[in-house]
Amino acid sequence: MTSYSKEVISDLVAGTLPWPQTRRVMSAYKDDDRFFKYVAVLQDRVGWKDPILLPVSDHLFICQSGDERVTRCECGHSFGDYRKNWKLKASIIVRNTEEALREIYPNSDIPDPQWMELREFICPRCGTMHEVEAAAPGYPIVHDFQPDLEGFYREWLGKPL
Amino acid sequence: MLDKPASALRIRERLIESERLMEETGCYDGITELQLRNQDPLKFETLHTKLRAYCVSAREMARRISASPGVREVGEMVVAIYTPEGDAIALSNGIMVHVHTMSRFIKWMIRNGYEENPCIRDGDIFANNDAFIGTVQVPDVMDVVPIFHSGTLVGWAGAVCHELEAGGITPGGDVALAQERFTEGLFVCAEKIGENDEIRRDYVIRCERNLRMPIYWVLDEKAKVASCIDMRESVKALIDEIGLDYWMQVSKEFIEEGRRAQLARTRQLTVPGIYRGHTFYGHVTAGKPGYQPLGDPDWLYNMPIEMEITTDGKIIMDFEGTQPWGYHSMNCTPAGMDGGMFVTLTQHMNFEGLVNDGAWMATELKLPHGTWTNPDNEMVATATSWALLLPAYGVFQRLLSRAFIGRGFVEEAFVGQVNSPMIEMGGTSQYGKLFGMAHFECAAAGSGALAIKDGLDTAYVGWNPESDMGNIEIWEQNMPMVYIGRSIVPNSGGAGKYRGGCSFVSTWLVSKTDHLRLVTSEHSSRVFDNGGMCGGYPAPTCQKHRAVRNSNIFELAEKRAPLAHHTGTNPHRSELELRLQGEHVTMEGPYITAPHKAGDVFTHSYNGGGGYGDVLERDPVKTAADVENGYLTKEAAEGIFGIMLDEDEAGYPVANIEATKRHRAEMRAKRLAKARPVSEWIATERGRVETADFAPEVKKMYASAIKLSSRFTREFSDFWNVDAKSIFMPGAKP
Repeated sequence: MTSYSKEVISDLVAGTLPWPQTRRVMSAYKDDDRFFKYVAVLQDRVGWKDPILLPVSDHLFICQSGDERVTRCECGHSFGDYRKNWKLKASIIVRNTEEALREIYPNSDIPDPQWMELREFICPRCGTMHEVEAAAPGYPIVHDFQPDLEGFYREWLGKPL
Repeated sequence: MLDKPASALRIRERLIESERLMEETGCYDGITELQLRNQDPLKFETLHTKLRAYCVSAREMARRISASPGVREVGEMVVAIYTPEGDAIALSNGIMVHVHTMSRFIKWMIRNGYEENPCIRDGDIFANNDAFIGTVQVPDVMDVVPIFHSGTLVGWAGAVCHELEAGGITPGGDVALAQERFTEGLFVCAEKIGENDEIRRDYVIRCERNLRMPIYWVLDEKAKVASCIDMRESVKALIDEIGLDYWMQVSKEFIEEGRRAQLARTRQLTVPGIYRGHTFYGHVTAGKPGYQPLGDPDWLYNMPIEMEITTDGKIIMDFEGTQPWGYHSMNCTPAGMDGGMFVTLTQHMNFEGLVNDGAWMATELKLPHGTWTNPDNEMVATATSWALLLPAYGVFQRLLSRAFIGRGFVEEAFVGQVNSPMIEMGGTSQYGKLFGMAHFECAAAGSGALAIKDGLDTAYVGWNPESDMGNIEIWEQNMPMVYIGRSIVPNSGGAGKYRGGCSFVSTWLVSKTDHLRLVTSEHSSRVFDNGGMCGGYPAPTCQKHRAVRNSNIFELAEKRAPLAHHTGTNPHRSELELRLQGEHVTMEGPYITAPHKAGDVFTHSYNGGGGYGDVLERDPVKTAADVENGYLTKEAAEGIFGIMLDEDEAGYPVANIEATKRHRAEMRAKRLAKARPVSEWIATERGRVETADFAPEVKKMYASAIKLSSRFTREFSDFWNVDAKSIFMPGAKP
């Protein structure tokens, strides 16, 4: 069975594993013990103790916080109950003018702000940009991911949550 | 009088029985146990590898018969071997999207009584390019031949080539101007086109008289038939070796194993739950010549997708809430949607084990009737269905990637494919002959970023995992235009910690013709039709076309003066405007105009991929290399990524790490100062929603989605706390 050290997984996640090695990881049979090593790597990275249950983005994690399960930023900011859309508790910058879009797209043709806007979802504490939505004006904010956390742990990982 | 089939086998009953067994047992053809695999796993695996080798070798041989640069250069071809019921057992590399569409074609013939008339006999050749029977679009022409052994139908061999010319209302294969089926070109509807291993002369004559460039289509037919016969003979020899009973059993077990492997792979790589995403496509044709007054000239489509991964590993994709089909060429049939699913799975999940129709059986598509994904009118055009398919399956790739990130397989997370705008042309060639063709350098867009590295520059499209732009010299042999530039477009990848792959722009001089019609398709107007992930931005997609008619390029060349080789980095004044005199054209949306002639200059841009992660985390050293190599501009490095660059003694960019830290801290502080709580934004925006203060195309999009989907209506209403129906469909019954 394929297995890698925690150090290798750590470098892989950080994007610092040398390409030839990364390429081998991509081509090889997948390592069945990846998930818990991955979570351990991420747990070392964050500055808080609440156990990570599931990463949901580059710097966003569902974690066990006392009796609650919340979506938490790497900086520690909580976006509340993981079953609710964390974006509703985030801060937002909306680019819906030609000038604001031009800041990100300096030399290409840009969308018509009457047809499309960019919504940047930001952690109100550390300013990390967690997600960017490109949507027509008036489009409801999308709830990206509602994991079946119980099913995942119980049936796939074979461990209690 | 029709010859009766050599076999008394009732394949139609067998197909129904196979489907009943699957329904009853949940396993393909009722195979609940992989007996042969368990008996001798090595033999089992070796046999599948052999079948795969037959396919790969048949495709390579066929590519050398083809005359089309699409097939020879770019590899726009795939072949596969099927069960008698039409389920794929093994396939080649290439445009794998068509493996399952061909399956639909075979099943369609079986269901429609082809055993009785026109009969299915050894040596027969059947062809199809009707998407409502089983393909994606009119240029995707497929040929299948039955495989008989000892008088029994034991399978099918099939091959598909993407034709560069389909004889439609506009030249090329992706017939951009088609607004109904009747303008898409030459249709071959599940037709017997040959017997005794020979293509019928009358069929070839029909092709020759209905296509602008029949040599591509006709030689591709020969290439496909040759590959099918090659595979057929290989399978027959294999059956001689292993015995007919073993073959009939093992071919089914291969598919059941493929199904089980897909479920297991989903359980291994992903996290169960509900995933959501969306993208958009904008289309602008108002005032352009040739469009019939059937549909809206300008429109906006939304493509919301909900993906469910169940705990047994099944992937269910639901397109509810998307737009109706329209009088344009971008509709898709369920066969095309299947194809999109199949090619995505083969690239992103089935990179080991048995790749075949079993993987597709472990998924489910929910395609709402009446939408562009499943039109309730079989007269609609589907010639450029990739325009919507690519963005939609780009969303699927991002949804899957969210699952890979959750599970820790970050090396597989991929921000996804982008649209690949195509340029097609016809008229009089440089040899003075009638011609028509699609230019396939679009098979090399920028890819989305990965979760651990930048995307591929000019090297990826979703529809052909072996993306290749082809050699300039080959394209020049086939069209009356010569390249005066092919350049990376700086900043064309979506910004992010890892940027999307960059695209390129080609600049051509029209040469040795006085009649060249140029038509483009499959690029979005006014909106992004791709996305970023985890804080990355989408790549720019809505690029305009720039051309110069009656340019002074020959005078400039004579004077050895500088020419324009690309459009440059100033969106308000292109290099063409700067360096060339003549009639300058800037056109939004599809490029459909009066013919060009020698001396005109034309440019066409392709798309970059979306970015991954927060821009403020991008590596400054890597960025300096990007600036040096023309993938990013220095201004973008500073303005978007906050990376300050100095120059070394030789004038090359070098990252100033300390200055970058300071600049990024300022940018982060500005970001925080500018951002406001989402709840506040919703409260303000709600007023705009209540009064439907949107552009007419946006309002129409909402009204269409609300009319077709009660779920979209409910979700929209709940989110804004409004009555969506009364806002966008005043007067409609509640």
